[in-house]
Amino acid sequence: MPVQGIRAVTAARNGVGAFILQCKRLDLHYCDWAGSSRGMVAFLKHQLPAFAKENPQIEIRVSPRPHKHPVLRGHYINGREKAICVRNLEPEQILQKANLLKEASGEKLKKQKKPVTSLNESVRGIWSPYHGDLKSV
Amino acid sequence: MRPSVRLLTPEASSRQVSRLLYLCSTCRQQVSRPARSVVTLAQPFGRRHASSDSSSSSSATTPLTEKVRRKIWGTDNPPGLKDPYGGDGAISRALGGSTNENNLAESTGQQELETVTGEDPLAAAASSSGYVPAMTWEGLPTIGHLGRWSDLPPSQADAYSPFVAKKRLVKEGLVALAAHQAAVELALLRSLGKPLTAVCDVLEHDESIFKLIWECKIQPGAEGAWEGALVFPNEETEKALSFVFEQIGGVAEEDIPEATAAEAAEVDEAEMEFDDVEEESASATSSKPIPFFGYDNVQDEGFLALSLDDLATKFAFLKRFAQLSGHFFPDPTIHSITTVQQALEYVHSVNNPKPKKLAHQLAASAELQDLSNVKVFLTRRRAAHRDEELGRKKIIDAELRARGLME
Repeated sequence: MPVQGIRAVTAARNGVGAFILQCKRLDLHYCDWAGSSRGMVAFLKHQLPAFAKENPQIEIRVSPRPHKHPVLRGHYINGREKAICVRNLEPEQILQKANLLKEASGEKLKKQKKPVTSLNESVRGIWSPYHGDLKSV
Repeated sequence: MRPSVRLLTPEASSRQVSRLLYLCSTCRQQVSRPARSVVTLAQPFGRRHASSDSSSSSSATTPLTEKVRRKIWGTDNPPGLKDPYGGDGAISRALGGSTNENNLAESTGQQELETVTGEDPLAAAASSSGYVPAMTWEGLPTIGHLGRWSDLPPSQADAYSPFVAKKRLVKEGLVALAAHQAAVELALLRSLGKPLTAVCDVLEHDESIFKLIWECKIQPGAEGAWEGALVFPNEETEKALSFVFEQIGGVAEEDIPEATAAEAAEVDEAEMEFDDVEEESASATSSKPIPFFGYDNVQDEGFLALSLDDLATKFAFLKRFAQLSGHFFPDPTIHSITTVQQALEYVHSVNNPKPKKLAHQLAASAELQDLSNVKVFLTRRRAAHRDEELGRKKIIDAELRARGLME
């Protein structure tokens, strides 16, 4: 019986078959007194219900943070957090920041050096000294 | 002395004269003359004017400054020092103080004499009458209170009775009762042709009259018109209320028809006690524990549709409503109110204000309550909350207690 290689199975990739949103929780902090929270207060009053309805997989927590600037804080399934200060921003701008946190992976931002990146091995295969013809020098 | 000659004459050195005193060249030359005595030295130091010391007559010995002084004062004995412009100089006083002491003693004695003879006549009179002038404000009669006005008992002018009720109505039923009563009273006064604001003359009616008012219904006409809106339960009520409200607004009793008066007298004798309105209202406010005699709500809500577009009617209604309910209406609100319903809504908004904290608003929002993924916290989230959420708070507390760091 000839030796058979191990069959390659499709590796699990997020988005292949199912997509799990990396952002699991979004904390929204505001201040009742400070003027920098004016846009945040308006966002919470008018735009938060629609945003929460569109993203039922994200837990949204709203809590006051007195005498501090308003903050959006995203919690990701890799254990990391990302926080964005939204002081003096308009409700529309805060919505953009919330979408940014929602779509983020939670990883640190990296500089992309090459235009194309892939997790696949090289199509040429890995070089082995035991394979291939002998080369005459 | 000529300048050329002065250069030849020796001057006194600084060792011979005090360093503190400035001496001119002439004085230094005078000091350096060895032949003269101290007494003779003093004379030219003090007087360098053109006085001659050789003549023997008094007019000749009198210096020029003294002559001018006497001419100014117009007398041979001018006031002041004996020789204010002359006298001994600084050097002569330093060298021979004995001669100056005599002059000083003389001048001091002269001043004392003037002080005694020129005493204040008022002070002399006061001392004779036993008057002692005050040196401080202690014990002096004061004008005003000087911060102690609060210790005085209240006077008649301090008493104050507010126009509106002292206690605001909070229950919606009681507020509706006040609005209904104001609407019925205004409708009655309009039908009787009385001034509308006269309704505020009576703060509170008798219980029997209030019951008659409570039984009345209001069915406003088209667009909330007041004309013919008042519906009486029966004819007796109409007559009784008409009789009662005929007396409001300054109408004499002679004008009241006898038949009407007789029928109204049967209603209740207490109705006739409207002569002393203020006294009755004051006693009622102080002794009445239950507002509107225990009535808790209105019979019908037709009065809500009454229009307040007419400014006189609006003013009279809001004035009476404010008096009964205790709620003040600010000017912008008065301007925006057009129906009785809006006036009631304003009072309702005052009684149930919106929460000032955003967390309370969000927590009360039905839209967010329906969403299962939204959680609103009323207070700030701290590290202890995170520990409790992760289930490690009990472990931390137990460890802290074991180490004696927490009780």
